Amino acid sequence: MHTRLSRRQSLKLLGAAVAAGLLPSLPVVATPALVSAADKSPAVLLRKPIGKQGNTLPVIGMGTWRTFNVGSDPKLLDARTQVVKAFFELGGGLIDSSPMYGSAPDVMGYALRKLGIPDSLFSAEKVWSPAGGSAREQVAELKKRWQVAQFNLVQVHNLTDWREHLAALQQMKAEGSLGYIGITTSHGRRHQELEQIMTSQDIDFIQLTYNITHREAEQRLLPLAQEKGIAVIANRPFDGGSLIKGLQRRGESLPDWAKAECGCTNWADFLLKFIVSHPALTCAIPATTQVAHMQENMSAGHGPMPSASARKRMQRYFAAL
Amino acid sequence: MSGGAGYQLQQFIPFSSDVYLRLLERIGETYWPWHIATLLLGVIVLLLALRHKASAGCMLLAPLWLFVGYGFFLQHYAELNWAGNYIGYAFIAEALLLLCIALSGKGLAKTAPDKRPAVVIGLALALTGLVGWPFIGLLSGNSSFQAAVFGIYADPTAIVTLGLLLIMLRGWLLWLSAIIPLLWLVVSGLTWWVLLTPQ
Repeated sequence: MHTRLSRRQSLKLLGAAVAAGLLPSLPVVATPALVSAADKSPAVLLRKPIGKQGNTLPVIGMGTWRTFNVGSDPKLLDARTQVVKAFFELGGGLIDSSPMYGSAPDVMGYALRKLGIPDSLFSAEKVWSPAGGSAREQVAELKKRWQVAQFNLVQVHNLTDWREHLAALQQMKAEGSLGYIGITTSHGRRHQELEQIMTSQDIDFIQLTYNITHREAEQRLLPLAQEKGIAVIANRPFDGGSLIKGLQRRGESLPDWAKAECGCTNWADFLLKFIVSHPALTCAIPATTQVAHMQENMSAGHGPMPSASARKRMQRYFAAL
Repeated sequence: MSGGAGYQLQQFIPFSSDVYLRLLERIGETYWPWHIATLLLGVIVLLLALRHKASAGCMLLAPLWLFVGYGFFLQHYAELNWAGNYIGYAFIAEALLLLCIALSGKGLAKTAPDKRPAVVIGLALALTGLVGWPFIGLLSGNSSFQAAVFGIYADPTAIVTLGLLLIMLRGWLLWLSAIIPLLWLVVSGLTWWVLLTPQ
């Protein structure tokens, strides 16, 4: 990722840094984001640190599971390209995919060819044994599919053959052929094994399921990640969409205190702000097929974040719904 | 938290219902007007089966399985699902099995179809797949290009074939040749179940 700052952006950065200083004990760095035509306010997308080199990442990323697997359908390829365009326009950085996600890496390649590769892109891929070939071969193949020269992050998908894959990724990182390495799980699976890996291996990222209804990671994994300086990506922030759909089905409206205390403007905001306001969390990766939903998701990376007490209130409120 | 089985199942279905329906529509658009030919072929195979000409019936059925294996799975479905290639090869294997049965004459029913339960069920399945299946999609509000026609789409091809096999074959070859259609119908049923269930 490269950041070039104009004078106007530098002033925004300065203002954002002041704002970040006022935020409740979160390791947040704020940098300017591009402001869409629809959003007239001087938006500032929150960022959190990753690794030891002082790099940062916007707190809202983008997942591609199911949503970007559209094959070679020209209509859907163009529709997903618009979603990626909106993501970048709103200051997005991390896009996460996997060889398990069908054509999603090819769809990313299509979108990046159409849009160009912005400096803000933080490309995150995975290696996954059933895809066939060694980790090195898989990464080479995925680079062709994304049409990128290098991935910022490569993760071992769902801990599959992690010893073998992680050793290969560590070697590739040492050679400088990729930026960061990590390991993923989801649905609360194999947390104990993940904890052992975090303790014993030199990794930069973990990815796991964390949302307002699934907070098992708070017990051991998130504190350990903080202690070890491992960045954390939260997948399934809306629990596969069921949290949002459930709220819509019941016609629940956003409580006024969430608007006042955390600047939430919609339920996506509420759920994402809950996630990324955890001190150990680096980034949430909601997936969507719609530009409007992308705009809602990205708005969660702006404005005030819930304090520790507001997070507890959010949990209680949600549990009582 | 979803159970392990549910999670495992989701791994095999990495696309949404909208995208799957759009894929079916594109397949319909790509192969139109072959639908008429495959449907006609299905009716001919059913008539052959009912007239105790099972060998000819299997011979005509085999290329349709080859076509669905290649045209549906390898050419289209595999774009969305890494498992699609394996399923495509399984359909091609079924085509070869039907061809072997047709050429060798083994496993074919020795008596003309009567009113035994297997034949009645077979006829009901074949008619459901040939006539009823395309209308289910249309009644659900799908476009005419999403109407699942025998010989183009996997589901009606498997249903009609199961029915025809019940009429035309006997013994262990009936069971052997029913494995792939049955397995696909289970996979397809689970796919729709996952797609229509909130994750």
